[in-house]
Order: sequence, then structure tokens, then C-alpha cells
Amino acid sequence: MNMNRRQFFKVCSAGLSGSSIALMGFSPTAAQAEVRTFKLARATETRNICPYCSVSCGVLIYSTGDKSKNSQSAIIHIEGDPDNPVNRGTLCPKGAGLRDMIQSANRLKWPEVREAGTNEWKRISWMEAFERIAKHMKADRDANFMAQNKDGVTVNRWTTTGFLASSAAPNEAGYLTVKTIRALGMTSIDTQARI
Amino acid sequence: MHSQAIDFHPPAEEAAAFLLPVTTTLFADRAERFEALASEHSLSDWLRFLATLSRAQQQALKALPPLALPSADSLRQARTHGMPPLDPSVRPAAWRDALHQIASTLRLEAPEATRTELDALLVVSDAALEKLADSLMSGEPEATDIARLPFVAAALQVVFTQLASQLDAGQLQALDAHNVCPCCGSPAVASVVRLGAAINNLRYLHCSLCNTEWNVARAVCTTCNSDKAVALHEVEGSQGAVRAETCDSCKGYLKIAYQEKDPRVDPVADDLATLALDMLVDEAGYQRSGPNLLLIGAYSG
Repeated sequence: MNMNRRQFFKVCSAGLSGSSIALMGFSPTAAQAEVRTFKLARATETRNICPYCSVSCGVLIYSTGDKSKNSQSAIIHIEGDPDNPVNRGTLCPKGAGLRDMIQSANRLKWPEVREAGTNEWKRISWMEAFERIAKHMKADRDANFMAQNKDGVTVNRWTTTGFLASSAAPNEAGYLTVKTIRALGMTSIDTQARI
Repeated sequence: MHSQAIDFHPPAEEAAAFLLPVTTTLFADRAERFEALASEHSLSDWLRFLATLSRAQQQALKALPPLALPSADSLRQARTHGMPPLDPSVRPAAWRDALHQIASTLRLEAPEATRTELDALLVVSDAALEKLADSLMSGEPEATDIARLPFVAAALQVVFTQLASQLDAGQLQALDAHNVCPCCGSPAVASVVRLGAAINNLRYLHCSLCNTEWNVARAVCTTCNSDKAVALHEVEGSQGAVRAETCDSCKGYLKIAYQEKDPRVDPVADDLATLALDMLVDEAGYQRSGPNLLLIGAYSG
């Protein structure tokens, strides 16, 4: 029987006995026996963007675990993406330590508050965090919002609170951030990307 | 003390999209790699014989007469239509001389079974040789030719490597199908992640026929272009210099060799020294997407 194109590429254990190795006079038996003692190790390879700053370096992330099976996923390695035109495979010291940030025991994963007069951080829900921040902002804005300056010119500004935006935001989120914050009259706005 | 200002500017050089074969050393380096891989290997005799074959390829390459590239018109036409400039079905007659030279060099060092095949290759008609080459290139050869085809492939590699090296890399272009060679349209044998200044850590696919290399982004399936389900498999406890890049979208795989793990890796030699990886990945249900022309007929059923 002639082989088809798919078979032409195929290399399998049973196939070695009829392959050019055997027909040329070499014995594939040891190779076939040895493979039964080997196991495969697997890692997925995905592309992502470093969350730290506005440079947005590309990274390649390697992780173990297969989502379809009952196994624990873990990120085992992160390196600069050589195909990314921004960083061409390089990373700064912070980016090079990304895996440690992801797996850090000290990583902040939910809102926490330290109440006045205590030294303990207490976990709170996202809804409670939003509400408390909103109340603080409204109280400060009501007290310090300036509609006109001393010459009577309309300025509509709120200078006593500042806003630090995320560096991991895309253009659309950045646009909405500025629209929302400026609508409140806030003048001090910056982004983590510059830190 | 002589001092020199440090140049803080990053390299302005763009990474090469195509790496044409270096004919002066290619097969000699491969022979050396086969030798190195052969020690303490379950297929050491075979790998050592392939080292001898690679050395014979280097000699045959050196002895080649000047080969003519396709005409300027045909090169222009290929470029206009996004086709590779070389056509593996149009073979310079010199490939048969290369085959004769390889066969006569090898027959003294070959095992009995191989010597019979080599002697047969030395006496069959040119037409029969062309027929063998046709069936090899079609990827659907006859089962009875299996032991002869690696030598036919070796001779074809010699002439097409020489032809590819004569092309102008500046005139090459990436093809729509990124898993075939931009010089000759053949499928890739494996990927290699290179070390170097501008090309550092970039992945190049290596042509199974003409040894040209072309850049394809990493973490992308070389068969179906999807980046959704790419995984790397290696034999547990190995150094990780050769892995199988599998894709769960198309269930295909091709091996990928890392110079960072071992700077001497050769896509062809290291591929054949890691057949255990093929066997395991095949059992796991993935289909290999490119041939190694020095190993024919390793399928069953």
C-alpha cells in the first residue's frame, strides 16, 4: 500500500519497524522499548501585555494545568515577547519579576479599609468600597467645589481631590476616565503609568 | 588605558524575515550535530550513519556545477502572484550527480541492507531516478522505495539548498500560507528559536528541502495560525531544547528547538534524535505537520 501525505509526515512507535531506519539495516527496537518509560510534560504558551506601565510590553506566559481536566493551573514562567515591536523580547526589572507579583502572598485581591483609630486592615465588599469612596468624594466636593473665582469668572473646579488612573486600562477606559473625572471638575488627574 | 564610549542606542537593525542557507558550513555542522547526538542514544548507529550522510551532502554541495536560477521573468511572475520563486518539481539535472556522489561515498560505510539500495541507485536509469524524486516530492511514495528515498531526499536537499542560497533575500516575500517555505514552497521540518542580536529569541521555521528559514511569530500554531490553544510538550526530565508545539484547535504539531537551551541545536538532526517525543505526542492524538526527509515511512497502517 502506498502512503498518503498525512502518513508521510507521521512518526509513531509501531511505524518505526517498517520505516527507513529498519529497512536501511538499523534496529529501532531499543528506541521503541525506551519510549514506554518516558512521560510527556506539558505547558500552555500564551501572549499577554505587562500590566505595570504605559509602555505595554508584550509578554509570553507559560502555565501548567489543562483547563479541561481536573488539574490545578499555575503560571510557571513569564518572559518578554520577542515578536512584540514595543519591547522586542526585553523586560524591565519590574516586568521580569511579574511571576512573583502574580504569585505573591501579599498581593491585594479585594478592597480593604483601615478605619480611623485602628492599625488593622479589614476586608470589605466592592459595593461597600464604592459607596465609601463616593461618600468621601461627595463630601469633599460639596465643601470645596469652586464655581467662580474671586474675579467672578466661571471656573467650575474641584482642586482638593486628585485621581490616579490605572495603567492597565485600554484607550476606551482612559477616555471614559477623563470624561467622568473632568465632569466632576477635578483638575488633578494622573495615571499609574507614569509611576 | 584605551577607553571607548558606550553606545546606548538600541540596534537599529531589523530582524531578518528570511535566513538563507549558508552553504559553506550547513551540512558539515549538521554532521557534527548528528555525531554529538549519537553518543549514548538508542538509535546511535543510525544517527552516526546520518552524520556520514550529511558529510557526503557537504562534499556533493561543494562539487556542484554552477546552477541556474529560474529566469528573471519567472522570478518576477512568482513575486507578483505571491508564489515561491523555486519549484521543487523542476529539478536541475545536477541532483542526479549529487545522488551518485553521495551513494558512492556512503556505500563503503553503509550496512549491508543499505549498500544494496545504494548500489541499485547507482545503476538505475535517469528516468527511474526522476520518478523516485517525483514520488518523494508528492509526499505519496511507494512503500517499496522507502529505504532509497532518504538518499534521493539528501541529493535534492543539496541542489535546492544551493539554489536557495543564490536567491536575493531582499526579493523574498512572506507567503499567505506561513507554514510553507518562501523559497521553494515545501513544508517545514521544525521550528528553531534563534540566538543573535536582532533575531534573539525569534522563531524561524526551517524548510525540509532547501534549508531556508523564515520568521513566524511564537505562541502561534504554525499549521492553522490560531493562538488560542498552543501548548508545548517535552519528554519529562529532558533539557527542554526540543519540544513539540501542539495546537488543540487543529490537533497538529511541529517540533520547536531552542538555541537558548543548547546553542548547537540543528532542526533536522535534533528532530531525528528526539523521535520518542514524536511517538508520545502521536499517542496523545496530534498529527505532525511537516516531514523530515531523512526518515521515510515511520507510519503504521
